[in-house]
Formats: sequence, C-alpha cells, structure tokens
Amino acid sequence: MDIELICLLSMLGVFLLSNLLFKLPVSISMILGAVAGALVGGEGIPLRHLAEGTFAYLDTSLIISTAMLFMAAIEESGALEALSSSIVRKFYKIPALMLILLVIVVMFPGMITGSSTAAVLSAGALVAPVLLLIGIPKEKTGAIICMASIMGMAAPPINIPAMLIGGGVDMPYIGFDGPLFLMTIPAAIFIVLFLGLKYCKNMKIEELEKSLDTETGKKYGLKLYIPILVLVALLVLSKVIPSFPQLGTCLIFLISAIVACFTGKRFNPWKKALDAMETTIPVIAKLMGVGMFIQVLTLVGARGWIVVSSLSLGLAFVYFASCTVMPAFGAVSSYGAASVMGVPFLLVMIQNGGCSDIVVASALSFLCCLGDIMPPTALAGNYAAQIVGLKYKPVLKNCIIPFVVCVLIGLMVMLNSSALGFLAR
Amino acid sequence: MKKIPKHIISALIISLVVIVLVIYLGFVFSSQKEAEPIYPGPGVTDIKMLSYWYPELKDTSGDTEVYILDSGVEGASMLVLGGTHPNEPSGFISAVMLIEWCEPEEGVLYVIPRANNSAFTCTDPLEAAPTRFYIETGNGERWFRFGSRATNPIDQWPDSEIYVHASSGQKLSGSEVRNLNRAYPGRTDGTFTEKVTYGITKLIEDEKISMTVDLHEASPEYTTVNAIVAHEDAVGLANMMLWMVEEDLTISVEQSPKNLHGLTHRELGDYTDTLAMLMETANPSQGRLHGKIDSDLVVSGKDKFYLRASSYGALTVPYSEDGISLTERCARHITCLIGLCDMYDGDDGYISLGWDMPTYDEIMENGIGYYLADPE
Repeated sequence: MDIELICLLSMLGVFLLSNLLFKLPVSISMILGAVAGALVGGEGIPLRHLAEGTFAYLDTSLIISTAMLFMAAIEESGALEALSSSIVRKFYKIPALMLILLVIVVMFPGMITGSSTAAVLSAGALVAPVLLLIGIPKEKTGAIICMASIMGMAAPPINIPAMLIGGGVDMPYIGFDGPLFLMTIPAAIFIVLFLGLKYCKNMKIEELEKSLDTETGKKYGLKLYIPILVLVALLVLSKVIPSFPQLGTCLIFLISAIVACFTGKRFNPWKKALDAMETTIPVIAKLMGVGMFIQVLTLVGARGWIVVSSLSLGLAFVYFASCTVMPAFGAVSSYGAASVMGVPFLLVMIQNGGCSDIVVASALSFLCCLGDIMPPTALAGNYAAQIVGLKYKPVLKNCIIPFVVCVLIGLMVMLNSSALGFLAR
Repeated sequence: MKKIPKHIISALIISLVVIVLVIYLGFVFSSQKEAEPIYPGPGVTDIKMLSYWYPELKDTSGDTEVYILDSGVEGASMLVLGGTHPNEPSGFISAVMLIEWCEPEEGVLYVIPRANNSAFTCTDPLEAAPTRFYIETGNGERWFRFGSRATNPIDQWPDSEIYVHASSGQKLSGSEVRNLNRAYPGRTDGTFTEKVTYGITKLIEDEKISMTVDLHEASPEYTTVNAIVAHEDAVGLANMMLWMVEEDLTISVEQSPKNLHGLTHRELGDYTDTLAMLMETANPSQGRLHGKIDSDLVVSGKDKFYLRASSYGALTVPYSEDGISLTERCARHITCLIGLCDMYDGDDGYISLGWDMPTYDEIMENGIGYYLADPE
C-alpha cells in the first residue's frame, strides 16, 4: 500500500473520529486530520504549511464576513421585508413567472462575482423571505436559494472554475457563455419549479397581505433600496468597465452596508456587526481548516495519489469521476476541485479526442460548482440554511434531486460536446 | 479576590499561543525574502537594476537585477528572462548559468534571472512547495529559492475576481492578475505586476533588443511542453533553430495564438520590435499528479506517480524511471538559446554566446551544477 494512501486514510480517519465520535467542530477536526497526515507522512507538525494553507481562503473569508455585514444591515433597515412584500404584490398572479424571476434574481450576484456565497448572502437573503411568504416551506426555500446560487456561480459571464480549468491548459475564457447558459438556465428553471411551484397554486393575496409589512416601504419609499442599488451598481460597474476602480467585493459589500445604516429604520450598527460576525466565524474557521487539510494532502503526496488513481481507471472512469469525485471534492473546495481534478480530467478527454474542449471545460466547471453543496463545508447550503433559520441537513436533503438532475445535465453535455461545439463559437 | 472565569483563562491561553505562533511564523515567512547569491562570471560587464529603465520600480520588490554581458563586438542583442514563474526552476537556473558561465563573443546578452522578483519571496498556498532547493556544484552545495507562480500578495492585493487584461480586454481568472506572464506589455498606471512588465518592455524598446526568450516549465501532462512558442515574426527563426538542435532533442515550434493575451510571446512581439519567444520544458514538480514535493523532486524530477501516469498514457512527454532532471531541463533551454543565437541573422548583426558554451551532451554528462560557480 502506498504511503500516500496511508496518509490519506489517517487524515480522513482522524477527521471523522474527531467530528463524529468526539463531536469536535468540523474546523478543529480538519486541523487534527491535517496534523495526523503530516505526522504519518514524516513531516512532523509543519507549522509553516498549516499557516500557508489558511491563506488560500483569506479573500473568501473576507467576502463572507462583509457580505454578512451587508445582509444584517439591510435586514435591520427594513429593506428586505419591504422588497419581499412589493415583489409578491406585483407578481402573485403568475406564480411560475414569479418564481423564475426570483431565481434569476438569486443567480445574478453569482453570475457577476462567480461566488455562490455572494449570491446566497446578497440576493438569496432578499428572495428567501418572499418564498417563505408565498408558502414554500423553509427547507425547500433553503434548497431553492442554495441551488440557484450555485447556478449563478456556474452561469456566465463569470465562472471561476471554468477560468481555473481554462487557465490550467492555457485556454482563454472565450466561448464559454453558450455552453454555460445551456446548462444553468434550464437547470435553474427546473429547480425552482420542481421545489416551489406546487406551493404557489393556492396562494391568496388577501391572506398574504396581512403578514406583509407595507408600512416600512411607505415610510421610507425608494430610499430604502439605495444600499441594494449601490451594491448592484458597484458590482456591475467594476466588472463591466475595466477603467472603473477595482474596489473588490469586500469593499463593495462594506460600502453598501454602511449606506444601509442611513436609508431606513435606525439600528445599532456595532451590535449588528458583532452578531453577524458571530454567525460567520464558524464558517471562516471551517475554511481555514480546509486550507490546512489540502495543504497537507499535497505536502504528503496524497493529492497526487487521488488524481493519478482516478486517471488509472480509464476514460469511462474519468467521466464517472467528473460526475462524482469532482463535485464531492467540493466538500473541500469547488475551486480546488477545478484546479486539482478539472485540469487533468480535461487533458485526458482532449487527448482522447472527439470532443469540444470548451464545451467539456464548461461542463466540468458546472460539475465543480455543484461541490458548493457538499458537506461538511457546503458553503451555499450552510448560508441558505442560516437564512431560513434551519440546520443545513434538511436543506441539503431537498437539494438531492436537483443535484442529480444537474449532474446528468453536465454528463450529457460532456458526452455530446462535439455536437454542441457550435455553442462555443 | 474575585476568581477569573475559566473561559476567560482559556481565551487568554489560546490568545497567547496564537500571538507566539504569529510572531514565529512572521519570521518564517519573512525569511523567504532572502535571495540566493548569484556570482557574476567573466562575461558580465555590467549589472543594472530594472528601475534604470523604469525608475518607478526603484526600492520596490519589483526591481530586479539585469545582468549585461557585452562582448565588445558590435552585433545583435538577446534578452533572456528567467524566473518569470519562480516555481519553474529550469528557467531560473539556466539564466543563472548564463550569468556565471557565458562569455559572449559577438553582440550583447541581457539576462534577468528573477524577472518576477516579488514572486520569489513566497510560495503558493495549497501547493506545499519547498522554499529552497539544492544543487551540487563542483565544490559544494548551493541553495536556490523556489517561489510562487505569481507576485507576492504583500506587493499586490487583493485579487479581483476577474482579471481583465488592459490592452486587449481579455478576461481571465482573478488569480492571474498577479501572473507576470499575463501582464505584458504592462502600463504605468496599472498594478504592481503590470509595472514590472512595463519595465521589461521599456528595457526591450530602449536597448533595441533583437530577440527575447522567456524561459518556462510546465507539467508533463500539459499540452504545450518541450516546445517553443514563437510570435509570428519569430517563427522562422525558431524553425531554423529546430533544424539545428533536432539531433540532440525533440522539440516542437508552436505559433503564438493571437487570442491569448498578456504573454511575452504575444505582446512583446506585437508592441516592440523584438522577436519574442517562450520555451517550455517538462517539470514533474508542477501540475497535480506528483507525489510528495521537495528539493529532491525539483532537482531529480523523479516521481512515482508521474511514472504511473505515463503508463496510463496521461502524459504528453516521454517519462521513465530516470525522471526528467533539472539538468536535462536546463540543457534543453541552453541548447535552444545557443541555437537561436547561431541562427539569428538580422539587420543588426549577429550574436554569439561564445565558444565555451557546453553542448547538450556535455551538460547531461557533467550536470548543471558543473556550470554554476562554487559557493563562497
């Protein structure tokens, strides 16, 4: 047995024991798993590597933190509730259209930033109360938000896993829009109608209006929505106009959160910021643990073992692994899956010929994005669950069928890539 | 006396441990700023800093040494870029070898061993790379820095989600915003990395460099490897070189794609009069397939997982139990550089790297350490 496999098993074993048996938090369990792997691999306790691994997620952690501050601010200002009631009153007569519009709203920040977390925490937080108001159960609402944010992450114009895979083989990020739209838009429509439509059929606006807050909207008017407009405007401008100052997503969320302090109901920003950070720190800790885990996985050679073992099983297995191992790797990191597995898988498929490299890379990136619902990290699932006030397990349970459908879409696109090659032109 | 609550004591202890670790790790990471010594050989006639051509780089970690090896005989000029990606050591070591061994007989050779100086001061998170690797010379061991593919975030941060290449509008993953070889031709009001590439472009323009060769490595499963990628103006020269070296090694010539922007072989060819080329060797310490990564893997190029991957047909280059050593990778670069100089026939004259430059077989026999200066 390869020493790398022994290291991998030690890491997984210690992680599972710590988390399931000793009930330690996921973050601490991952750190212990990483330390165990390093010890078995003869690396001692590699402090430098453990610290370096955490840096991989520094930017993501900052985005999550500032997005949470923004979400807390618009919630307290009353903007969230006012927006919910106004959408329901305008579109309640055509529930299917209303749901499709709402899911596109959730996807939008993901399409612009390439991050499902940003989508869940911004538009997801706005749309979730609407879905709850029209009677969709919490766990299904969470699942819609979670899956829609992932579709947004995968949809063009910005799909970071596609860029990472393309970058690994020097393929410019050109021609991806067609294949990505082909997968994400139908999938998103299916998801929202499958999970939500049946709850909208008996929607009665008179009953809904009783629980809708119409006062805040009337009192503050359009001023209430300024923080959301600022957020959308800055996100779009910084991506569309190259000469526009690159503020970065963190600063954009922060600016929008500050604006929200002055546009609606008064609240104590310091207290709300502390509350928001309290819910954010466990997720950041999880990301730091994941960073240490992957760094040690690479340090002891277990990453190479995983990739080479996958390649050893032939082209059919590469397709199989693309649909299973790659999304599963999202439990560690969906970007990591794109970089670690997406690149060699694409190369194997290109070498075997008969496929459109851009369409295959698009499908691989789509499958990588699905990794954002994989526990224990389950970034999109975690935050969608928090938004609807649940633990992530019931939310993820409702994501299973949409997940399987998305995997099948990805697989079909990969298998028929040459026929779909025209989309990449 | 009031008893301190247990959770406060725990918090204090944890905070103290964290502070000690942060201070210790601060020293560990800062130590990567130390650069290895390079010993200029008899051919070096001048050493300038890149800020000589673009003063704004002065006193920044983007400023880097430019070694000038002037034969004293009028002729053409060549710029060799090593260390564009400091995790691709054959480019860096080949550049150091030129500085310490080469004595040009005609024309002028410019060598920048640490093109992205900042990227030598860190390693890439999640890649678990060593910070140094070691090469045996004739008289002892020398250490060299193994760095990152991209500029140190200390010098340029945060990355945008999307990197939009300024002159073409091409969109790339945000992680490429710190990649020197995606930032050409550079600009004065751009990022730190774009300012460094602007400095290099300015050097090429001011010194009227006849040809520029950017030395790289790629993983053995990558499609463009053991290859020379040439701007359309330089394809003819690259093909002539191919004819000259084909007895020693297998190498392919690829024309620079017109829609892949920011790279030396595209932008330097488009924006300056230089003949722009980029060379790739196969490096088993790159990519996702290798096992444990350490100095030994970097130098010997032997890896059991690459050997297995080769048997599955997953690699684009031949790979045996002998691995692909740093010596072999440097021998490829040096042989091709000599070939390019020998084949160059421009209006500005000729360039010769000198009679003492070793052949491919000689480098393979003696090892690359033989052509490096002994450690002091």
